[in-house]
Amino acid sequence: MFLALTEMRRAKVRFGLLSGAVGLLVFLILFQQALSTGLINQFIGALRNQSADVLVFNAQARKNLEGSIVLPAQQAAVAQVPGVAEATPLGEGTFTVLAGVDGAAEEQDAVIFGYQLDGPGAPTTLVEGRLPEATGEAVASSRNADEGFGIGDTVTVVPNAGGAEVVFTVVGLAEEINYSVSPTLFTDFAGFEAAKRAVNPDATAVLPSVMAVRVADGADPEEVAAAITAAVEGTEALTRRQAVDGSPGVSAVRQSFSVVLLLFYLVVPLVTGLFFLIVTFQKAGALTLLRAIGSPAGLLVRSLLLQVVVVVLTGSVLAVGLFWLASRGGGGLDISVESGPVLFTVTLVLVLALLTSLAAVRRVLRIDPIAATTGAGVQVG
Amino acid sequence: MSLAVTELRRRPGRFAVATVVLTFLSLLLLLLGGLLDGLFLGSTGAIRAQRADVIVYSDTARDSFLRSRLTTEVRRQVEQVDGVEAVGGLGFSLLGATVPGETDLADVAVAGYELPPSGVPDPPSAGHAWADERLREAGVSIGDTLAVGPAGTPITIDGWVEDTNYLQQGALWVTLDTWREVQNANRPDAFVAPDVVQVFVVRGAGGDGLAAAIDAATGSTSTLTRDDAVFALPGVSEQQSTFNAIIFSTLAVVLAVVALFFSLLTLERTGLYGVLKAIGASTRRLFAGVVIQAVTVAVIAFVIGGVLAFVGDALLPGDIPLQLTPGRYVFTFVALVVAAVLGSAISLRRVTRIDPASAIGSAA
Repeated sequence: MFLALTEMRRAKVRFGLLSGAVGLLVFLILFQQALSTGLINQFIGALRNQSADVLVFNAQARKNLEGSIVLPAQQAAVAQVPGVAEATPLGEGTFTVLAGVDGAAEEQDAVIFGYQLDGPGAPTTLVEGRLPEATGEAVASSRNADEGFGIGDTVTVVPNAGGAEVVFTVVGLAEEINYSVSPTLFTDFAGFEAAKRAVNPDATAVLPSVMAVRVADGADPEEVAAAITAAVEGTEALTRRQAVDGSPGVSAVRQSFSVVLLLFYLVVPLVTGLFFLIVTFQKAGALTLLRAIGSPAGLLVRSLLLQVVVVVLTGSVLAVGLFWLASRGGGGLDISVESGPVLFTVTLVLVLALLTSLAAVRRVLRIDPIAATTGAGVQVG
Repeated sequence: MSLAVTELRRRPGRFAVATVVLTFLSLLLLLLGGLLDGLFLGSTGAIRAQRADVIVYSDTARDSFLRSRLTTEVRRQVEQVDGVEAVGGLGFSLLGATVPGETDLADVAVAGYELPPSGVPDPPSAGHAWADERLREAGVSIGDTLAVGPAGTPITIDGWVEDTNYLQQGALWVTLDTWREVQNANRPDAFVAPDVVQVFVVRGAGGDGLAAAIDAATGSTSTLTRDDAVFALPGVSEQQSTFNAIIFSTLAVVLAVVALFFSLLTLERTGLYGVLKAIGASTRRLFAGVVIQAVTVAVIAFVIGGVLAFVGDALLPGDIPLQLTPGRYVFTFVALVVAAVLGSAISLRRVTRIDPASAIGSAA
């Protein structure tokens, strides 16, 4: 044990490089994991954390909220499908708004959701304040509370020529309700309609993007969704989960990141395994001598494994430090350091590294102390 | 030097693991780069193709095409600005389209235009479109009539154009009137009046000065150069910086791996190098051998990684926006070789320090 640590102290460059490489790799894994979940949450958090069991899209929209409108005939037909307890309009749009702290209001992008108050489609993750109770009130994404979307702040939809200004007052904050990585407001449908008319004074009608459905007690949302799709021409009904997973880009982002992460997970143990194998080969002579003077093989194996653990842990500390720095300067995509995923990643990397170092362990166990007497296996250099 | 090459040839096993690790890393670099390029090219094609110096938005749109609205009145003001040579309207609608004979919808970006972007012919007749090659994958062919959007507005494909997509949706280039018809039939909530467009593409002299002059003249517009307009598209600059950070960190790992491996190898050969120096080999020559080995390993790893990336590109499902460009291969190759050279330079100090006299002792 003692020898193992002394060796690492003496060969600082070598072990430093290895720890550095492991650290960078673990950092990249952590960063990309946080990025993919963070990105997905900020893209479709609003869909995930709203109360409708089923969302009815226009079949032409390809599960994309931005491209969906539900026609009046379809709205009426959805409510008639067995298993539907309540079906109300839910509108979504991106607007240019004036918002800011202490009178320093500036133009920003914001997504506004309009739902029927007391109906399905309300945010479910309220952390402060209350849900809107009248037109002109809104719940904002808690992530953007400091950017002019805090409780009591007013948010003004900037009208286009010919439209009238629409003002919302924030009365509550909810977690993870962002959409399209923009500040997000949930308000009543009339408020959403007014906002739409402010930017499109020529609009002939403001249609809901989707219908928000609450299913009857005991009904299975998946079955109700299938029934709606079958019964109402030109619609595609999805459960909340299906809507989240089917959102454009979500599965593509997930798949691309998982391919990349898998490769990174493979590289870490390969690098550590390779390193310890070479080092063990180089030390074969010294190890033979140690065995000859009575060190049990178990001790040598334990020393080797101790070095693996120290390297991986040093690298991980470095990685978490880098990750923490990156989460500070996150450049708009705020990622947070959470202990769960970090521990999981570090443990997985450690296990993989120990597994690949078995190659080096095998080499140690094959050492025959008798070789020391002939000098054959011993080179002290 | 030939010694280094001979060693590579005779003892390939010694370099195998390093090659495998670097192969994985070069595959990673190519995939990450390919994703970045795919996202970037597929989102920005329609803007990059514009033969325009500046793009004019309404000032309330925060540089978003979809929210911008400009009238003929603004157009007259823009036309009178010094240096403006040509002004053309442009508008996009992002919709799904039914392709004859296909069950899945195709994602299309209906683009109404006046001034042809590069590679796009003059506007087709009403109800017809030049389609981007991307739509071939969705089963579109020349002569097809697509039913666009919930209203099913018919658009007939007259021919193909390349690399003109908008936000990962295949572009259909149509006249402004056809675009307005599509937009108003399918998005009644975002109606465009007969003389209204989303943005103007402007050709003229003066660059940044031109943009400022236009904004000053109209008082109601925000004007960007074409390159700035590309980066003003939602998500583009964030993607670019995030992916580049990941790619350069991966290159740092390549450097560390090469450094580690060759410093271990050099350590192993300390005795041999002592002997070689004693019989007259220069430090330079020995070190060149190390660098050659590092570069060879990197090149082999790049070739295997490149082939794997190519195969992977063909196997991965089509909705992953992976696009491997020759430029990405060149970048990755150069970056790998540079990282290999820099990494092997860590061993230089050790090679330099070897004392030829040590060869006389028996320790070596």
